Amino acid sequence: MDTATTTSPAAAGLRDFATALDACHDRAASGGLVVSRGGWAVASPARVTAGAQVPGSSGALMAERGGTPAGDRRQEAFADELIGLHRQTLREVLDGAVARLDRRVSEGANLLNRQLVQGAVADVALALSEADDLRELPMSTPWRRWRIHRDLVNAGRTALKLYGAGGFVAGGPGTVLYLTEVLGNTYLRPEQPGPEAGDD
Amino acid sequence: MTEPTGERIAALRSYVREAGRELRAIGLEIDRDPEAIDRWLGLPAVDIMRGCTIPAEYLDSPLRVGAYTYDMSSCLEHTVTIEELSYGDTGSMLACPGPLMSGVAVSALGDDKQRHHYYERMAGPEPVWTFFGLTEPAKGSAATELETTLVPEGDGFRLTGEKRYVGNAAYARLGVVFCRRAPGPLGIEAVLVDTQAPGFHAEPIPTVGMRGARISAIRLDGVRVEREHILGYDSLKPSRRGLIGAIRTLQRFRPVLAGTIVGLCRAVLDHVREQRPALAGGARARLEDLEDRLTAVRRQNYEVAAAIDAGRVRADRVAGVKTRAAELAERCTLAAADLMGPGALLEDPLLNKLYRDARAFEFMEGTGHIQRLAVFQGVLKRTFLN
Ligand SMILES: Cc1cc2nc3c(=O)[nH]c(=O)nc-3n(C[C@H](O)[C@H](O)[C@H](O)COP(=O)(O)OP(=O)(O)OC[C@H]3O[C@@H](n4cnc5c(N)ncnc54)[C@H](O)[C@@H]3O)c2cc1C
Repeated sequence: MDTATTTSPAAAGLRDFATALDACHDRAASGGLVVSRGGWAVASPARVTAGAQVPGSSGALMAERGGTPAGDRRQEAFADELIGLHRQTLREVLDGAVARLDRRVSEGANLLNRQLVQGAVADVALALSEADDLRELPMSTPWRRWRIHRDLVNAGRTALKLYGAGGFVAGGPGTVLYLTEVLGNTYLRPEQPGPEAGDD
Repeated sequence: MTEPTGERIAALRSYVREAGRELRAIGLEIDRDPEAIDRWLGLPAVDIMRGCTIPAEYLDSPLRVGAYTYDMSSCLEHTVTIEELSYGDTGSMLACPGPLMSGVAVSALGDDKQRHHYYERMAGPEPVWTFFGLTEPAKGSAATELETTLVPEGDGFRLTGEKRYVGNAAYARLGVVFCRRAPGPLGIEAVLVDTQAPGFHAEPIPTVGMRGARISAIRLDGVRVEREHILGYDSLKPSRRGLIGAIRTLQRFRPVLAGTIVGLCRAVLDHVREQRPALAGGARARLEDLEDRLTAVRRQNYEVAAAIDAGRVRADRVAGVKTRAAELAERCTLAAADLMGPGALLEDPLLNKLYRDARAFEFMEGTGHIQRLAVFQGVLKRTFLN
């Protein structure tokens, strides 16, 4: 799947993330706004002017309820876009973590030399690579998309820990990854509790 | 130990749980505007936080429930108290004035005069926020390499450097700053700093969640420190103060932090049960699994806290319980968002807040990697597992 067209949101910050999200809306529903099956629309304040700020988004995203849900084809196209955005965001967050740890020194060596850190970096990379492979499979289903999303969420949590408390500062990688989680919960979570409700 | 038993602790828990309810009511307001705590200083929960770890003889009205008086010198009672307040709302609890970790540091390191001074100041009529300043921009986990300097000048010292992510520092009147008087781990000192001293600057750092913790960045531009403000300077050998004090404080406080986390996990799972009483099948099993894990970690935490009260500080177990609790908080909130269904993070403000707050615990008082290293040492020494 081609992710090269997606902007680099984590590196460029929250506003770029919001712009990249708007572009996902555009590609899924030209010139439009995809409303979730539950009736929510989430986009930048340029796109969603009523409603309320997404809590914890530092004003980067707005959410409005009450629109007519998009049809299945658009939902699916948008779901693929969102997973692409999530994947790209996580990739950026991982690269940022590696660069940061390479500059952080403890006991005369940088933190990238710690095997626990190396293991965490590798875990995130493995999850990204598996997500890529899963996205290539034919005949995607809502549950498969949800599983990919969930794997990316877990990998994102691992990546974020590598930033220390810097990953918790508003506007940084913690905020963009949190927003990918909110978007997944809003647009990707299948409506009916499925056979996998018992999964973590 | 399932739940600590006995009338004394039961009375404490039920009193504090009531007080915690009022924190729940203000939680979302504090999340939007952490400074709003100033409007709620009359709450009983605030009184509890102000008195925590201050000896009863200093307080006009120490915490009394029935026949019992509590000063939180017991780690177990402190843990139960903070767990119940955190069940109400963690962020609001952390936004309260009071000694928090600085009090534990002063108690562990200060000489009689320093403790007396500190307690008198904390017990005064005005609410006093405090801070515990250890983390630096370049040195977080590597606390032994901290770079803030304490340089002699005349009959005192000058304090210069930066601290980062320090709870409440931008609002505090008083705090403990860890700094370096000489090279090496034994060259570290803990000093009491008055934030009105010239050269002290602090500003809040906005965060994704746990906004009530009001973490702040501190700049110390040659703040004057008198010798009597160095904790334990005249009463303890260098090998018993400074860094050792930081470690002792963190270990004494870690079950309290784990109690904070347990309180939040309980709030999350109770919320799911209330909002989705009809969960069935796999969804219900998932909730029950998390409840089991919560009961197990809570029990372990009480054991760790009771052992500390009995004079046995087991660094590996302290680290283990904090890590398990922090990871459980993430799992509980992720599961809650999932179990509550599509759009829950936008529809349910309490869930959204708990979901964001839970992510703080990984970093507070040491990351999961650092705690794992302590658990590993316990495995080697055969102390971690029974
Ligand atoms: C809500 C909140 C409240 C806080 N309150 C306070 C406070 O009141 N006072 C205070 O002083 N600090 C406070 N902190 C800061 C906290 O203690 C630090 O964030 C924590 O110690 C980690 O430091 P760091 O953020 O610099 O991460 P770093 O140390 O830079 O860590 C970055 C990454 O490297 C890993 N790492 C580092 N060293 C090693 C190693 N040796 N082996 C393996 N992996 C390693 C870490 O696990 C992490 O994944 C608070 C933080 C938060 C989020």
